[in-house]
Amino acid sequence: MTARVRALQVVSIAAVLVVWEVVARAGWVDAAFVPAPSAVARALAAVGPAALAGLGDTLLKTAVAYVIAVVLGVGLGILVGSVRLLRDVLNPFVIAAYGIPKILVLPWIIMLTGFGTTPAVLYGTLHATFPIMLLVMGGVRDVDRTLITVARAYGAGAWQLYWKVILPAVVPSVLAGMRLGIVFCLLGVLVVEMFAGVRGMGYVMGALANGFKAPELFAATALVSAASIAIVLALDWLNDRLSHWR
Amino acid sequence: MTIALARAAIVAALVIGWEIAARFVSPLLAAPPSVVLPALAGVLTLEAFPDLPRHLLVTAREIAIAYALAVSAGLTSGFALGLYRTLGRAYGPILAALYAVPAVVWYPSLMLFFGLDSASKIAFGFLLGFFPITLAVLAGIRQVSGHLLTVARAFGAGPLTTFVKVMIPAMLFTLAGGLRTGLALTVVGVIVGEILGSRAGIGSLINHAYGLFRTADYIALVIVTLLLVVASDAVASLVEHRARRWSE
Repeated sequence: MTARVRALQVVSIAAVLVVWEVVARAGWVDAAFVPAPSAVARALAAVGPAALAGLGDTLLKTAVAYVIAVVLGVGLGILVGSVRLLRDVLNPFVIAAYGIPKILVLPWIIMLTGFGTTPAVLYGTLHATFPIMLLVMGGVRDVDRTLITVARAYGAGAWQLYWKVILPAVVPSVLAGMRLGIVFCLLGVLVVEMFAGVRGMGYVMGALANGFKAPELFAATALVSAASIAIVLALDWLNDRLSHWR
Repeated sequence: MTIALARAAIVAALVIGWEIAARFVSPLLAAPPSVVLPALAGVLTLEAFPDLPRHLLVTAREIAIAYALAVSAGLTSGFALGLYRTLGRAYGPILAALYAVPAVVWYPSLMLFFGLDSASKIAFGFLLGFFPITLAVLAGIRQVSGHLLTVARAFGAGPLTTFVKVMIPAMLFTLAGGLRTGLALTVVGVIVGEILGSRAGIGSLINHAYGLFRTADYIALVIVTLLLVVASDAVASLVEHRARRWSE
């Protein structure tokens, strides 16, 4: 079964590439818009250095935004999630902040902070904080009440309660939030770079699109996609490891 | 009661804080509520942007087409992957990997291919809406208990009857949730697409107002867009509740 599934995957991907190559070479689609895979591969070599530099820049901004978003999201999520009144009052605000299209405030962020790194980090943080916070709030809410009652009965103070009972119990939600958050973060940074970037992968891709350089654009797209899949798989692997260890 | 009061107090504090803060900043950068409200009135009475209805219609049309495509493609691929084990095991992981890519990565290629007009926004809205719908179908199918299917078959139900009478009702709740998320993401996709570059639609108006530093008009247009977003989600949530009641 597994071998058959693997074979099907490999054959399908190969078939897509071959058909795409044939269609592009035969001129059934305009090569200016849909370049053949072989042309994309050649473009990858040409655009590689610039794209990798852009990708590095983007990932650096993403990393900064991600750390801030995880700290804020987990901290606020535990705080708001564990205090009943705060949770009841703030829940709709957090859901609203999560749900509304953040792109609407992007022009304003650019007005305030100008072009460059600051708006990208700010917007990436804004994008990722609320989903993480919501997941952590949910995790805290679902902590077994008896655990807390028992800890209290044994005389655990507030600090011990958070550190020894609530925090370990919400680790799965935190990890789920971190996995979701990284994609949101990268998305936010790329959007800012496309909208008002002067550097970074989003800017590179926007420039390639505006310059009608399809093969280079496809190559750059493949590069970012591969990077983000690799990051998510790494987080999944870490997640798996941690859950074994617990 | 206390909770509602606290929420109202927070909203009031935000509005007052905004009013005070905005007065200390350059009017180019921020407009206080007392300036935004007249601007909003100007937008709603079509004085500020006489062709607002045309732009709203463009956006609504893009959302409608993108969502229709996302629903039909999402349901098709979801059921195909969920009902045929080999297909699901082969293409499910590929789909999951693609879902791990921030969707905006595809937008420049879509813009290059489909141009600056509606087609690229429809394609992007479709792409964002497609994934949650497909995933909801897959999750829904996993939820249908095997017992139900066995019983249905034992009573002589054919594949089609089993599908319509047993599977769909059993997974309706999850499906409706996915359809709602799909609509929300389609709306986001279309708006993001319009703001990243367009010639028509509410996003192009927002860009226009912001580009001219008409900050009050920009905020008013954002409020109008938010109303559109909330309205579309309200409709979806109504449908979701209907589905929930029907499946219970």
